Amino acid sequence: MRRAITVILLLALMGGFGFGVNRLIASRKHKIPTEASVFIPTATRPKIVLPGTLYLAQNGDIYRLSDGYFTDLHLSAALGLWMQPAYVPNSQDIVAVVRAAEYSNLYLLNSQGSIIRRLSNNANVHLDTVYLNHWMFYPRMGADGNTIYFSYDQPKDSTQYAVDFSVWSGTLNGKLAAKLLSNSNPFTGGDVEPTPMAGGAVMYSKYAISGGNAYSEIVIQPKPLARPTVLTTAAQDCGQPALSPDGTRLAMICIGGTGLQSTRLEVATLTAGKLGVPQTVVNNCLCASPVWAPDGSGLVYYNTADATGHFELWWIKGALTAAPSPPLQVTTNLDFTATSPPSWSPLSSVPVMSR
Amino acid sequence: MLSGAIGAVAYFMPAIVTAFQDTGHAIDRNLATSNPSATASAAASASASATPPPAVAPPGQPFTVLLLGSDNDAKFGGTVLTQSMILARVNPTTRQVVMESIPRDLWLPLSSGGSAKIDAAYLHGGASASVATVEEDFHIHIDHYAWIGLLGLVNLINQVGGIDVVATNPVMDDFYPADLTGKNPYAYERVAVLPGPQHMDGMQALMYVRSRHGDLRSDFGRSQRQQQVLLALRAKAKLLGIADLPDIATAMANDFSTDMSISEIASLLPIASSVQLQNVHQVILASPYTYTGHIANEDVLLPNWNFILPETHQYFPAV
Repeated sequence: MRRAITVILLLALMGGFGFGVNRLIASRKHKIPTEASVFIPTATRPKIVLPGTLYLAQNGDIYRLSDGYFTDLHLSAALGLWMQPAYVPNSQDIVAVVRAAEYSNLYLLNSQGSIIRRLSNNANVHLDTVYLNHWMFYPRMGADGNTIYFSYDQPKDSTQYAVDFSVWSGTLNGKLAAKLLSNSNPFTGGDVEPTPMAGGAVMYSKYAISGGNAYSEIVIQPKPLARPTVLTTAAQDCGQPALSPDGTRLAMICIGGTGLQSTRLEVATLTAGKLGVPQTVVNNCLCASPVWAPDGSGLVYYNTADATGHFELWWIKGALTAAPSPPLQVTTNLDFTATSPPSWSPLSSVPVMSR
Repeated sequence: MLSGAIGAVAYFMPAIVTAFQDTGHAIDRNLATSNPSATASAAASASASATPPPAVAPPGQPFTVLLLGSDNDAKFGGTVLTQSMILARVNPTTRQVVMESIPRDLWLPLSSGGSAKIDAAYLHGGASASVATVEEDFHIHIDHYAWIGLLGLVNLINQVGGIDVVATNPVMDDFYPADLTGKNPYAYERVAVLPGPQHMDGMQALMYVRSRHGDLRSDFGRSQRQQQVLLALRAKAKLLGIADLPDIATAMANDFSTDMSISEIASLLPIASSVQLQNVHQVILASPYTYTGHIANEDVLLPNWNFILPETHQYFPAV
């Protein structure tokens, strides 16, 4: 009997030790963050209070950041992934993209996230002809609050493989895709990230392929389908242009010389359509989607905080000056959609609207 | 002691199973002898080399790996080609890496006989034939190979929490194969990868490296993006250790094979994590290394060996 108890105890001890070793090794496993491991923005507070109201996208939803608090617009996931919000000047509305599997549409929303109306219909119902669907991305509003600019994969010849974005313009109250503004380079991905300028011109990133490399140049399109003025070189490979509110500074994301593994945030003066020598504000980063504060006091952008790859919001005060402040990480443990630039309205608090 | 060992074995069981099933596959170098012209060229190059290299480089010495990627979805019914072939030379001492993408449409003699696009080498003899074909035609020695299928890549990237990639341009494709997401492996789906830095999960990364219809460079653009994703995975190696291998092995099961042992794979992790980007040299065999041609009703790429071999032998020792 005593012997049996000893054997049982020994076996139990051995089992416990084996299990302990197993769990000890398991504890050495690295906790690799996933989408599920980040917070939703409303569960956090930013480190600083930024002026105005920022609209940002994370994991298919859009959040408003105002007076130091995030508000979830609770947009319907049934329509697709919501992204690329653009505030409508002189109103409290926003335009946003809903991305479905085969197409994307633009919607007009009020400040509380209620859909006012769908602006486009890019879905094709025939499953065997998916190429008849269309993409629309990067909506940006003109200062009049009615003119809208966006990238659209038209014109497209369905007998060819070429699918490229061109820059289009239209109006919220009239025809959406009214004017084709740019001639994109075929088989490059085309023209994206339109930024309205004073006088009806539009700035955007124009993709090209030469010498075996794809690159982007920032260009200004003075009028529809005219030859654009090129601001940056192929070697610089800059895109994601963000024009300061006074139109004198350009922030951009450059890839040239990084081995396609990192980016630089650069700022340059813009005088009479000519770009000054760019200054690198942040180097060797995964910086993306810069946007100027409406009062010009600084700019925000996305960058990863560490090797986990989650994009946080960063702020540089005085980015217009010769000696900007060091970058400040505004959010922690969030994961903003890096290809969805924030939109920054000057309005600081948004009253509940009813339509 | 015994119980501790049993506990450890239990923990590493998925990796051990993978080690038995998917790693340690020997390269059959006899496949190199079935093509007369290739044999002649191999003999000529062998005669130029006084001592043949060892089958596998000794530990700590520079070594060459042939990375193979296949579209192994349902529509191929087990007859898979290699849509991606990347030669990688790793110097563990200097922490330098060279990656050379071999275009899948490159028309050359196969080790298994006759000539065809190089992606067919795998079809006619698996990884051994791919290794033998590259060794003979490029006059180099390959120490190891690693093959991965579509879901293997997707699961690997998901297992490491996704990767961060700077998309070079909008990658657009209206005829991307919907072979992993739908019931019909012949169906198409649309791809639009927006440009710039972004976090990609496995499926998004696969679209980025696999799409080619909307790119002026076609397969060359895809090769560049494949190298980009490999480097992004290298960055993730910093977050991994040996305790993570069982999960990775489980994720990649049946969609991965290599002749490396599990301990050799584990020893690569610290090397991958410590390689600096400036020490990575990338080669794409576009023009003038290759030029387009039309053989047997197929659009192919023809090799310009006068350019390819000197470029290759700068980084991969000639044998």
